[in-house]
Amino acid sequence: MSDIDIKRISYLAKLKLPQEKEEFYANSLKEIIKWVDNLKQIDTNEVKPLHNVINATESIRNDEINKHNSVEEVLSNAPERAQNFFKVPKVVD
Amino acid sequence: MKQSISQIKNSLKKKSISVEELHDEFFKKAKLNYNNAYNLITDKAQNKSLINESQKRYDNSNSLPLDGIPLGIKDLFCTKGVRTTASSKILSNFTPNYESFVTQQLLNNGSIFIGKNNCDEFAMGSSNETSHFGPVINPWKNKNEPNNNLVPGGSSGGSAAAVAEGSCVASMGTDTGGSIRQPASLCGIVGLKPTFGSCSRWGIVAFASSLDQAGPLTNCVEDAAHILNSINKYDFNDSTSSNHKRDDYVKDLNKKFEKKIKIGIPSDYLKDVSQDILNQIENAKKVLSQHDIEFIDVEFTTTEYALSTYYILAPAEASSNLARYDGIRYGVREKGENLDDIYLNSRTKGFGDEVKRRILIGAYVLSAGYYDAYYRQAQKVRRLIKNDFERILRDVDFILTPTTPNEAFKIGDKLDPISMYKNDIYTVPTSLAGLPGVSIPSGLSSNGLPLGIQFIGNYFQEKKLLQLAALAEKELAFNE
Amino acid sequence: MSNNWEMVIGLEVHAQLKTSSKLFSSSPNQFGSEPNENVNFIDSGMPGMLPVLNFACIEKAIKTGFALNFTINKYSVFERKNYFYPDLPQGYQISQFEFPILTEGFINIDNGQDQKKIRIERAHLEQDAGKSIHDIDPKYSFIDLNRVGTPLLEIVSYPDLSSADEVVNYMSTLRQILMYIDVCDGNMQEGSLRADVNLSIRKPGGDLGTRCEIKNLNSFKFIKQAIEFEFQRQIEVLESGGSVEQNTMLFDTNTGETRAMRSKEFSHDYRYFPDPDLLPVNITQEQIDKIQPTLGELPNQKLDRYISELKIEKDISKIIISEKENTKVFEQMVNDTEVPPKLIASWLVGDIFAFVKENNLDVSSLLEKTKVIVELLKLISDDVISNKVGKEILPQVLNGENSPMEIVKKMGLEQVSDTSELEKIINESLQDEEENIAKFQGGSDRVLGYFVGKCLKASKGKGNPKLINELLLEKLKK
Repeated sequence: MSDIDIKRISYLAKLKLPQEKEEFYANSLKEIIKWVDNLKQIDTNEVKPLHNVINATESIRNDEINKHNSVEEVLSNAPERAQNFFKVPKVVD
Repeated sequence: MKQSISQIKNSLKKKSISVEELHDEFFKKAKLNYNNAYNLITDKAQNKSLINESQKRYDNSNSLPLDGIPLGIKDLFCTKGVRTTASSKILSNFTPNYESFVTQQLLNNGSIFIGKNNCDEFAMGSSNETSHFGPVINPWKNKNEPNNNLVPGGSSGGSAAAVAEGSCVASMGTDTGGSIRQPASLCGIVGLKPTFGSCSRWGIVAFASSLDQAGPLTNCVEDAAHILNSINKYDFNDSTSSNHKRDDYVKDLNKKFEKKIKIGIPSDYLKDVSQDILNQIENAKKVLSQHDIEFIDVEFTTTEYALSTYYILAPAEASSNLARYDGIRYGVREKGENLDDIYLNSRTKGFGDEVKRRILIGAYVLSAGYYDAYYRQAQKVRRLIKNDFERILRDVDFILTPTTPNEAFKIGDKLDPISMYKNDIYTVPTSLAGLPGVSIPSGLSSNGLPLGIQFIGNYFQEKKLLQLAALAEKELAFNE
Repeated sequence: MSNNWEMVIGLEVHAQLKTSSKLFSSSPNQFGSEPNENVNFIDSGMPGMLPVLNFACIEKAIKTGFALNFTINKYSVFERKNYFYPDLPQGYQISQFEFPILTEGFINIDNGQDQKKIRIERAHLEQDAGKSIHDIDPKYSFIDLNRVGTPLLEIVSYPDLSSADEVVNYMSTLRQILMYIDVCDGNMQEGSLRADVNLSIRKPGGDLGTRCEIKNLNSFKFIKQAIEFEFQRQIEVLESGGSVEQNTMLFDTNTGETRAMRSKEFSHDYRYFPDPDLLPVNITQEQIDKIQPTLGELPNQKLDRYISELKIEKDISKIIISEKENTKVFEQMVNDTEVPPKLIASWLVGDIFAFVKENNLDVSSLLEKTKVIVELLKLISDDVISNKVGKEILPQVLNGENSPMEIVKKMGLEQVSDTSELEKIINESLQDEEENIAKFQGGSDRVLGYFVGKCLKASKGKGNPKLINELLLEKLKK
């Protein structure tokens, strides 16, 4: 098992680990990954991955519009809004 | 002795108690929140019209299946107009404008929600210690250390404690790797995880979508059957909902099996277990053998890989499912100098340590260079585990296992994540296979704490599974 | 300088599908609504919300499969592409990755002389994101989620394109086809069709350079400008001894320049995995077979038919087939009358389109007017009025003032084809023209034109030129 780049993983997960916690998480992750490493012992060359125990969906929608909710309901939990927009500090590309 | 749903309904029908009196009895107990089993208790005023309507139906002798029954709801189900937090700081101010499919069915059948039950944050935990609102206390005490507070199990720990303490008749929980069955076992009650695809996930805060399944925590098997009758329904809006014909689970619950049945006991599950746990299985075997039931030793080949598989797949799905919590559209937004800071601060401060740990594991096993070795490999092993169950269920009708490897432990006792994860050793394989499992209380440990056994049935065979559980419940007579 | 370099371009075209509702939710797929009006709880990524597939999107993909010569895969899988952005409410985009619905297609583009085959690697279904609006407030961005979940078909070509013109040609051909089969409305201004350009340069026969991706171009003009600028930029980098960095570029429509996006601390890692809220899509042969007949005639098939069956010139045919609306108007007229298609075609691309353009009308507005246009053309082909008169009264006809026949009658513009009346005019016109008559009889054909003109003028333009010609010849040869 290669070393875990905790900075990169937390970047991907959009988490900002405080410096003093980085090592804690890195070690914890390392331990867990080592623990799950036993899966590598199994020969699965002939095995298809299983996405889901249900094989086929019954839910196929016809192309119909169904308005369940109002703009107000969509925005009612917004931490910050302006008129009927969600508001965030300026996005730089 | 607690009353069953049928008994309560009889009292309501006979007018020996009113819906309001019933409500108040449970409401008062819940209000004390003695074991911190509730994140929110519904104001009586808010339930007043439901109580009145329910009473009216009893007065007109057209009551609904769960009419007037006070229920607890795990705080993972979105409830319209009622704060829903998933026991997380990041959702601590969130009030959905929609009702989950499952809780809607419970409302349609006349039940009244006492409150939202505490749980592990985003259902990630086996002891209910990861909740932003503090740990839940198990109503049971170790008779040798009566002053210590014990965990109720998790993640539906609040639900299990609430039912056990008697502040609601039953509670709705969710089970991803054991989150209904394990706390039911540690709190001495019944917990049912239906087959994946039985009960809609629509409106339940998602943890791991391919594993999450709603189910009841109840005082008795019959109550579980009553609740299952209400919630087990096809839902078009959940693409993984199964559209098969559902049974009436209450009808014929106590009917004898028509032919001899076979129950497999996996020897590999019992390798290193304590005498307390072994006793549960032996005892169950003894009492059930009086009926036309044959016990057969079976052996899985994949058990040792189940936890690894689960702790790759569930965090992977969770890392993606929890990406929507960013403080932009709802939830708690932390301050930040720019947009990226808002994201980072809201998520870092909004999620607790265990949730962050699982998000990190998930991001890691899906990341470039590791996907094949971990995520894809785990999906393949998941198939092997499912095949393993299918092989054994060709030879036997049910599988009997312990629900947990141990009794309830002290709050704060298990700090190491892996030893915590190992709590789910007997429940996780069933979840990965998508099979139904029910835990019923089977006896007490040497410390006087409840222990449970788990019956596992075939896909969508909840009816037979509950019939067996009801028989075992009667024979084990735990509640008497 | 650029003579030594050639460009290698692959295009990713994002086509919004023309459906009523979104890919995984039943809210309206509609442009131009009030902010956040077309958003439901699924679109806004509320906790516990689940996607349900709109089958119309699968049908549109299958149609595209037929039109672009793709292999249509009966098994495809929706996966999650994970990244954070404020207009991406779920924190991931549902897309297809390992198992796309369409693979290995191609189209032929017309280079003027010959055709070039452009191979297409794949096309997959995915959700569109919302929009961040930056120009309302100096410090804040405003998020409108209306576009979230709009179905997109991303069509990814092989790097078979080698100039800006070819790219534009490929994209407009694609646009034309998608509009013909009713998969996309083709409205680039509204963002219904957008392209990401992958461009690298090399010396002829040399190794492929590092490619840069220019994101989100929504007009042919910008595509051309962006490619030309980026081509020069890469040349300058390499010729000055530098190396091209693999980058995502933005095109500034104000300056006409490309620039690299703010580089991220770490490279992207989208962590694709099968969406556990959805199950693999399995389509049956029966479902595929049902869709093929709904395809209709494709642009190149129409072109061939116009030329070979309707005997219309290639250039005019091309103008008509360039937009599906044109062909609708044209074919409605052809079906309505026995007026020769050729006459209809030349009038349509000539005076009629000129009128539409002058008056800022949509070609589709002609669909209600084909009856009167055909009536007018019938008057011309039956020699009731002259071509010239036809042109004069066309605006009145198109403005719907009166029926062509009534206009003609009211204004007394009917062509004079009465032989005796024409002979009278001819006789009057030939008076005092002994000199010219002699010239004609001496062999000067040019004089005939002069006489025809004089007679037409005398008839105030109403005389039938063909008849006048015949009668004059008869008379002069005596």
